[in-house]
Amino acid sequence: MSEITVFTAKKIITMNAPMPEATAVAVRDGRIVEVGTLDTLKPWLDAHPHSIDNRFAGHVLMPGFIDPHLHPTLGATLLPCHFITAMEWVLPDRTCAHVTSHEAYLARLAEVVANEGAEEEIVVTWGFHRIWHGNVDREALNAISATKPIFVWQRSFHEIIANDAAIAWMGTAREDLERHPQIDLPSGRFFETGLAVAVQAMNKVLLAPQRYMKGLELVKRTVHLGGHTTIGELAYPLMNDQLEWQVLSMTMGAKDTPFRTKMVPRALQRGNFEGSPEEDVRRVAEYAKRSTEKMFFGNNIKLFTDGGFFAELMQMRGPGFIDGHHGEWLMAPEAFETYARAFWLAGKQIHVHCTGDMGLELALDVLQKLQDEKPRFNHRFTIEHFGVSNPEQVQRIKDLGAIVSANVYYVHELGEAYWQKSIGYERASQMARLGSLERAGVKFALHSDFTMAPAMPLNSAWVAVNRIAESGAVLCPEECISVEAAMRAITIDAAYILGMEDEVGSIRAGKKADFTVLEQDPFEVDPTALRDIPIWGTVFEGTPFPIAS
Amino acid sequence: MTPRIPVTVLSGYLGSGKTTIVNRRLAEPGPLRLAVLVNDFGAVNVDARLIEAADSPVVELANGCVCCSIGDDLGAALDAVAALPQPPDHVLLEASGVADPARIAMTVGYWPGFRLDAIVVAADAETVRKRAQDKYVGTLVRQQLASADLIALTKTDLLYEHQADDLQAWLALVAPRARLVETQFGNIPNALLIGQASPSPTAPGHHGSHADIFVTATLHPETPVNLPRLRAALAALPETVHRVKGLVQDAESGETVLVQSVGARHEITPAPGLVPTGLVLIAPRPTASLDAAVESLSRACAEPAD
Repeated sequence: MSEITVFTAKKIITMNAPMPEATAVAVRDGRIVEVGTLDTLKPWLDAHPHSIDNRFAGHVLMPGFIDPHLHPTLGATLLPCHFITAMEWVLPDRTCAHVTSHEAYLARLAEVVANEGAEEEIVVTWGFHRIWHGNVDREALNAISATKPIFVWQRSFHEIIANDAAIAWMGTAREDLERHPQIDLPSGRFFETGLAVAVQAMNKVLLAPQRYMKGLELVKRTVHLGGHTTIGELAYPLMNDQLEWQVLSMTMGAKDTPFRTKMVPRALQRGNFEGSPEEDVRRVAEYAKRSTEKMFFGNNIKLFTDGGFFAELMQMRGPGFIDGHHGEWLMAPEAFETYARAFWLAGKQIHVHCTGDMGLELALDVLQKLQDEKPRFNHRFTIEHFGVSNPEQVQRIKDLGAIVSANVYYVHELGEAYWQKSIGYERASQMARLGSLERAGVKFALHSDFTMAPAMPLNSAWVAVNRIAESGAVLCPEECISVEAAMRAITIDAAYILGMEDEVGSIRAGKKADFTVLEQDPFEVDPTALRDIPIWGTVFEGTPFPIAS
Repeated sequence: MTPRIPVTVLSGYLGSGKTTIVNRRLAEPGPLRLAVLVNDFGAVNVDARLIEAADSPVVELANGCVCCSIGDDLGAALDAVAALPQPPDHVLLEASGVADPARIAMTVGYWPGFRLDAIVVAADAETVRKRAQDKYVGTLVRQQLASADLIALTKTDLLYEHQADDLQAWLALVAPRARLVETQFGNIPNALLIGQASPSPTAPGHHGSHADIFVTATLHPETPVNLPRLRAALAALPETVHRVKGLVQDAESGETVLVQSVGARHEITPAPGLVPTGLVLIAPRPTASLDAAVESLSRACAEPAD
């Protein structure tokens, strides 16, 4: 057994109700021996060799932050791209200053092409948005380079603009591009189904193993930068099990990674004609054999109801969307029910991607049936994302024993856009109605669904507490939550969502010694400053990991 | 350039009978090299034994990312099919039961190296109207039917005559563009499903093996064809003509053009260098309407340009 290390701190916020605050925590072999004060720790310290580590004397310690839903592989695809964005993005290897005019956008892109991108086969930039950056078209990109293929990927991934070099690089017959109704060659725009043609060509670069590996290294650092010590990969695999497992093991699974990843497989991966639900339950069970300390499978399974929230493909109940379009189902409702039943009977914790109130309704209708057929306590059926809902559904969530993992960042980035252009003020302002959940006593976590939102738990907490939209306006203050609930939602309640509350999520004797080290106390700062609290770094299983400056 | 490979999109909600149609195609391959792409996520599957036995490539697509095109299997699968040493003559794509066939058709129809043949939507005669009212999938089912060029109406043997009439009247409202094909046990002739009657029949005549189900007729225009008139004649064809296909000579340019018409979808595209073969018309029984159709198309082809 090793020596005990005692970390003292200005304040330790334990998120453990019987002892909410402390100033010292004793750690041995990666676990907490006891938390309290140097005085209360005395019997342990008298009995065992120990050292006192005062490096956090001016800091606030919290339980290591937990994001129960993100997608490392998606992040790995995006992070190696060059960010030119209207909002500032702080990334582990760079800070991308905000770029808010047409001229500034083209100037920055020219810089990227001349410098960082000079050695690359193609330059792919992400973050373009017409509202800020005006009309960036093929001609504008040709002016930057006649020889370097440049792909400009729009902020929400729904459009790509290419220069002549990029169009030639794709290697697609010109007449095939010219006849496509959703490719406009004169302006270099690829959109809707035309977008898939461009992305298919780019995939050979985007998904090349070396780039993917480099991207995962950046994801790793991004996760650390946010102050996380535990994350959930909530739909494994994204594409290709063999490649993904190998590269994830080499990066996220490495010894020096300062966090652990719970892997949640997706049901109905398919692609192999093995279609029966029983086969699927067996396939998922096989994953458990691969578990290591850093990357492990548990009792969880991911299912889907309706489409993506950023893509406006959520299934909405009446009156639907302003423009009359319809959402989509990611699984046929009957298939969802069939697979949910198989995993329910196998005793699994089911996580359901639901974005619209109709998608949520389906999840709850099916949960009702399953409860009627085979009642279960502590099943932790989890509503993931929780975009649009109504108050009566909150009551049903509670009655059926379900819990929620929410992407509250929607309110900040999409609240006003969806109010103006998608579903109107009443429903848009109430998206991610966490205040109702808090009042109803339904457990919930906050997640980023990275790359859908920044992987910054304090930023998510800031949105949940303040509901400040892009313009600065507050959307539906009635659905704001308390700082206490927000802090629980990124620590102990997030641990509960992942079925890990016995190991992580609070600071108490016996748990993993995971801490997030803050420069300020989230309960003391002005709630509107929550996201600005500097993070020193983390302690993962007793070992400090500062964020490299 | 090499001719684009035609893709028939086979859509329809769960239980509509589209998998039976795919199984039937695999069990009874025609003379064409057909690649089958399957993207269904229902509990009912394509018969694995048929897949093993089939000499055509059969691929099941996996789900990519739910929110973007990264990892999209469909495009990758099409590229792989086009890159085969011996590319297929035709692709049959079984779309996911929850897919919007119009969108899938846009993706595959304009994918480099491919073109859309037709959107065929399977519908279970017994249950389709109930499905179309379903709380969760009613909108989707109606949307799928409305996108159809051909509706393959399955299990019609389970309906009384008056029920069948009601159903047809209802479908005419929900899917005004679509032609109807009644089918049992997934049995749709290749000529109707993928527009490939074989071998080339003589004019006008009855097709052999499926003579009880459909008829074909061929017409050979004696002079180059005035395309605007042909286009108008195609649009005016009776609903009983399901497909028209073939190569004719354009009176204006003198070049050969490919004529393809499925239901209310008509396309005339340049096919320079190919030998005009005339037009094949395909219709279910009876033959009277087909004869009238041949007559009207012949007239349109014969009329000189203005």
